[in-house]
Amino acid sequence: MDSVPLRIMIIDDASLVRLYYRDILERAGFAVEEALNGVEALEKLLVQPAALLIVDVNMPKMDGLTFLRTLRQQALPLAGIPALVTSTEAGPQDRLAARAAGANYYLMKPVPPDRLLGHVHLLCGAA
Amino acid sequence: MLCDHLYRETGIAFGEGKEYYVTRRLTERMLATENVDFAAYFAHLTTQGSAERQHFINAFTVNETYFYREDYQLRCLTGDLLANCVAAKPPGAPLRIWSLPCSTGEEPYSIAIWMLENWPLVDNYNIEIIGSDIDTAVLEAARGGVYGKRALMRLDSRLVAKYFEQPDAENWRVIGDLRDSVLFAPVNALETLEMRRFGRFDVIFCRNMLIYFDEVSRRIAAENLYEALLPGGYLCLGHAESMSRISGIFEVCRYADAIVYRRPPEPGHG
Repeated sequence: MDSVPLRIMIIDDASLVRLYYRDILERAGFAVEEALNGVEALEKLLVQPAALLIVDVNMPKMDGLTFLRTLRQQALPLAGIPALVTSTEAGPQDRLAARAAGANYYLMKPVPPDRLLGHVHLLCGAA
Repeated sequence: MLCDHLYRETGIAFGEGKEYYVTRRLTERMLATENVDFAAYFAHLTTQGSAERQHFINAFTVNETYFYREDYQLRCLTGDLLANCVAAKPPGAPLRIWSLPCSTGEEPYSIAIWMLENWPLVDNYNIEIIGSDIDTAVLEAARGGVYGKRALMRLDSRLVAKYFEQPDAENWRVIGDLRDSVLFAPVNALETLEMRRFGRFDVIFCRNMLIYFDEVSRRIAAENLYEALLPGGYLCLGHAESMSRISGIFEVCRYADAIVYRRPPEPGHG
């Protein structure tokens, strides 16, 4: 990995989930930023973009799919940030809705550490 | 007279041998309120709407504890209890844990840390950890999440570095995300209506509260705790406490790490 760690943003309203993913990512050498919902994520990304987004679906203020649709309408490089959606919803329609909103990949929760890191590396091109 | 009043307010019976403790706390409150004699203080205390009522309760219910206390129960939580609790839950469903009494927050924060470190399904459920106590001053301290070295003595340095920041040489503060993961709210375990406001829980930790109560209060508290559990939910008591001597409404469950009590599941459910 480069000497400057890649920056990943976790967008999830559950503080325990953020702590859980943050630990996995920091142990693997990534720098982690957090946002509690889509609005906060957009605000933070406008200041400093990230290499990858990990996005929950059900969140207050702005849910994950509305956030992704809004993000994909921004100018580059914001619009092009890869996004990994994580959710407890298992239906095929949920995956399709996430893809349509602009998700690059959809991971069903629970996400074990090796699975999370595998997809993070793929989407960041940091394998 | 004072002990009768204390009993009515808190359910805690101060009998013989507790004179020193009672006198010390009472003197503290009399000094704090500038009442030089007991009659004047008692009148002040029992005046309708007196703010002293809560200060008085707080002074007599202070408790000292530390992180990862009675950790065999935390092992039991992630080793056996949670698997049973979530067996019939869909992903994303609420998983509710109540720490009561939580004193200054060490226990509910310990539950959160233990689950993060030892339970691989933390992202699969909507986990709610609530800490409650009758003492509003300790809840304020719990929300602040600042602890001295002694409270952290059972945590290894890796956990301290991961879940605490150090504002100065003597104190450690629980990191923001962990503080946000626990909701603190006051409750009196003997007040049935107050208890009901919190809804029902999968697991309740109620350690070292019942031992302070007399028999009548113990039974009321036990019934309130039972009602606060989901069918199939678990109650964890302190190691020196036994529910069987208080009430027969709970099932006794023996697991590898601990004995806990369970509200029986409803027929047709696990």
